[in-house]
Amino acid sequence: MSEKEITEMTTPGYEIPPELRHQVTITTLERIYNWGRANSLWPMMFGLACCAIEMIATAASRYDLARFGMEVMRPSPRQSDVLIVSGTVTKKMVPQIVRLYNQMAEPRYVIAMGACASGGGPFKEGYNVVSGIDKFIPVDVYIPGCPPTPQALLNGLIALQKKIERQSLRDLPWYQKGAAEPIPIPVLGPDLMDPRKYALIREVTRRQATQAQEGEVSNE
Amino acid sequence: MTGWGVLKSLWVTFKHLVVTYIEDLRYGKRRYFTPEGVEARRSSDVRGIFTVQYPEEKLPVPEAFRYLPFLVYEEGPNGEKQMRCTSCGICAKVCPPQCIWIVRRNDPQTGRPIPAPAAFYIDVDICMNCGFCAEFCPFDAIKMDHDYEIASYNRLSEHIYDLEKLAKPVSYYASIRPTDYALEEAARAQKGDAKKAGSTAG
Ligand code: SF4
Ligand code: SF4
Ligand code: SF4
Repeated sequence: MSEKEITEMTTPGYEIPPELRHQVTITTLERIYNWGRANSLWPMMFGLACCAIEMIATAASRYDLARFGMEVMRPSPRQSDVLIVSGTVTKKMVPQIVRLYNQMAEPRYVIAMGACASGGGPFKEGYNVVSGIDKFIPVDVYIPGCPPTPQALLNGLIALQKKIERQSLRDLPWYQKGAAEPIPIPVLGPDLMDPRKYALIREVTRRQATQAQEGEVSNE
Repeated sequence: MTGWGVLKSLWVTFKHLVVTYIEDLRYGKRRYFTPEGVEARRSSDVRGIFTVQYPEEKLPVPEAFRYLPFLVYEEGPNGEKQMRCTSCGICAKVCPPQCIWIVRRNDPQTGRPIPAPAAFYIDVDICMNCGFCAEFCPFDAIKMDHDYEIASYNRLSEHIYDLEKLAKPVSYYASIRPTDYALEEAARAQKGDAKKAGSTAG
């Protein structure tokens, strides 16, 4: 903690008797709460494309995410606080990402890592790529780069921690009454399979396959 | 025996911990938060901990490292910025993801184009750091930067870089890429000499 932060913490606007100076600290509950939240962010173990390799490098011992209280990557959305969208978001993947986001327990944060996740990157006009995950889920921090180096990712994670420390518990949606509405799972255009129609798709495929086989038999 | 592998791996971790303390005692304070300490810990024959404690310590980037492009300007005698860019548009044409937008400047009196950009935007959330723009620019006006600490909270207001955010002085370029800079300056001086020689001969 820097000198300035310590002075800020120890001068909260309350009168502390001189004999108790340097022995007690008064701070706001919000600050302590946010400090705790910011320093125990657990990322989800979830990678999409080449950027994920840099994310893995960041978690390994050369850069070591654990130094920031990000201990281990959680393999379950229920246990994670931050979703690092690391890589190209294809149209086939976006329903799964939104579903994972919906399954994460609040408070939850999203980092768009790399050009692809932020704006589509090199594939921004690709027929199968979503140009930016922020079209579907709210993004807190954008990290440019293709891929962002481990240090750039750490910079983004520190930026997220700073953002959390500044948030007011009164305004945050997840500390309000009532449950939040889940984000609707996107169904994108005809080139994306609608998961609710898997049975139908399977049936059609099977019928066409049998027809093709029969055609072959009759041709012989 | 069950669990033997776990014990062996824990032994490796334990050895690593002990060696870290031995190395700390041997090198003392020099080992952390100093350039030589970072240099020693990044080498392949490091013993003990090799974590780089970003953000207090940073791994030095190689000279050819490239992140985002920036526009080079010469500082005029009165501190005004003289952009090298002539808004020829070659970089925007070669850019693979098409993330450069250039608006050409017209002379307000005659309406004819003058060689300077009126506006220059790069969408850094699209840029793939390929360096083609720097490679193809015939005026050495756009170069690749080393700065990677550019995460932000807002895509549209902060990550569409305009002329002001892109412009950096030529001295900055010389400081991050001294080799390239020296080569380019030498080539330019040679060209100037050749031109002079040509004009006297002709
Ligand atoms: S931003 Fe670049 S490195 Fe990252 S996923 Fe996209 S193409 Fe790969
Ligand atoms: S940066 Fe270079 S290539 Fe691009 S418009 Fe300017 S002069 Fe032309
Ligand atoms: S580095 Fe590549 S992608 Fe980025 S602006 Fe230059 S040409 Fe375009």
